[in-house]
Amino acid sequence: MNLDRDAIKAAVRAKVIELAKNLGMDASDIGDDDIIPATGYIDSGAILELVVWYEDAYQMPLKQEEINIDNLGSINSMAEFVLKRKG
Amino acid sequence: MASALHAPRVNNNDDIVQVIAFRVGVGDYIEKGEIVLDVETDKAIVEVAAESDGYVLKLMCEVDDKVAVGSILLWQGERIDEPVPEAPVVAAASVGDGNARPTAKARTLLKELGLDAGAVPASGERLTLADVESYIAAHGIQRRDRTPAVTVSAQESLPDVPGQLVDLSAEERGMLITVSWHRDHAAATYLEVEYDPKAWEDHAAAYAHANKLMLSPLLPLLAYRYVQLVKASPRLNATVVNGKRFQYQPVNLGFTVQAGETLYLTVVRDADTLETKQFIENLGEVQRHAIQRKLSREETSGATIAFSSMARWNVSRHIPILPPYCSLMIAHAAPKGSGRAVLGASYDHRVLSGFDVARLLMELAKPPV
Repeated sequence: MNLDRDAIKAAVRAKVIELAKNLGMDASDIGDDDIIPATGYIDSGAILELVVWYEDAYQMPLKQEEINIDNLGSINSMAEFVLKRKG
Repeated sequence: MASALHAPRVNNNDDIVQVIAFRVGVGDYIEKGEIVLDVETDKAIVEVAAESDGYVLKLMCEVDDKVAVGSILLWQGERIDEPVPEAPVVAAASVGDGNARPTAKARTLLKELGLDAGAVPASGERLTLADVESYIAAHGIQRRDRTPAVTVSAQESLPDVPGQLVDLSAEERGMLITVSWHRDHAAATYLEVEYDPKAWEDHAAAYAHANKLMLSPLLPLLAYRYVQLVKASPRLNATVVNGKRFQYQPVNLGFTVQAGETLYLTVVRDADTLETKQFIENLGEVQRHAIQRKLSREETSGATIAFSSMARWNVSRHIPILPPYCSLMIAHAAPKGSGRAVLGASYDHRVLSGFDVARLLMELAKPPV
């Protein structure tokens, strides 16, 4: 997986849109700083799928306590967290 | 003393059967007549039933194994910690080295069992009836004219419509076991209460905000409250075994997780000993393992109570199937836009009354103060 910031953001955005589509939602206008759980595009089950995909895509197992709004709450924070951990 | 269950002879022409599904696992208590596994020959699939009551001590083969008729499929015991007899060792240099001539009675028994005289060690110059009986006892082989090795149920006839038989996946076999237990053992019934979900939603939102959670803690908090209520009323945490109440010590919470097309009952063990935060983290961990399909056996077995929500699918009611040895399963539903939510429960009426369950549901409908 490409560790360029824009590439990470694009990949996360695409995954959120895909998961939202499965729930009958159009998340194409989601902003980089939008708090994903608060947008209502994806529910807890889909967020769980997003987290599992993220761990797998970036080969980055997460501790349960790391799964929080500060680290993974938005597209920007998810990209930032990868770069911080891999940096 | 441990007893063996043997591979049945399904028909006269097949000396080998293939194990296609186990319906029980090590540690399960099975009753005489209960179907424990399925085997297949070229001609049929048959169910193999337990010959006696007891705990499953050891499985001697695996799914897809081809085993000889008469060989041991599993060991059972009256106690869960009973030792399993070691595989008998035939001494190569025994007095009878396989060349001893059998007596008439020994020959008759060998023929009855389909055994080769050369495989049975003799204790003297001749292979005697006692030698053969010792051998079959040591190998757990039973004489078919005395006790049927297994009860073989009638094969279901195929539907009169074109189609083909397809093997079940491990998960589908697990579901078949669960549904069969619900049907054959539990006196399952169901009741439900409606409640105003706002208090719980506010409680969960406040918790999520305070702890900066990514995932809504509504269902984990509901499940945790459920665990706490069961902890306070231990009779809710029990099952019936052999006509007696089996009171569980730990509260192991089963929690359903839909991973793709597969439904798992994940298990948080010793949930009654956990603080709220730790419980939510442990539940999150097993949920992630389910999505990753990396659940351990501990994370998929031993549920003493269970919880399931179908709020995600916007259903208004669902009536869960009780997992084996589980007397209570909460069903949560919250139809979108209705302003109401439902807490239902499937329960085993052998263990719990409607009063027990209604009281629990009414308590659960309110978040902790």
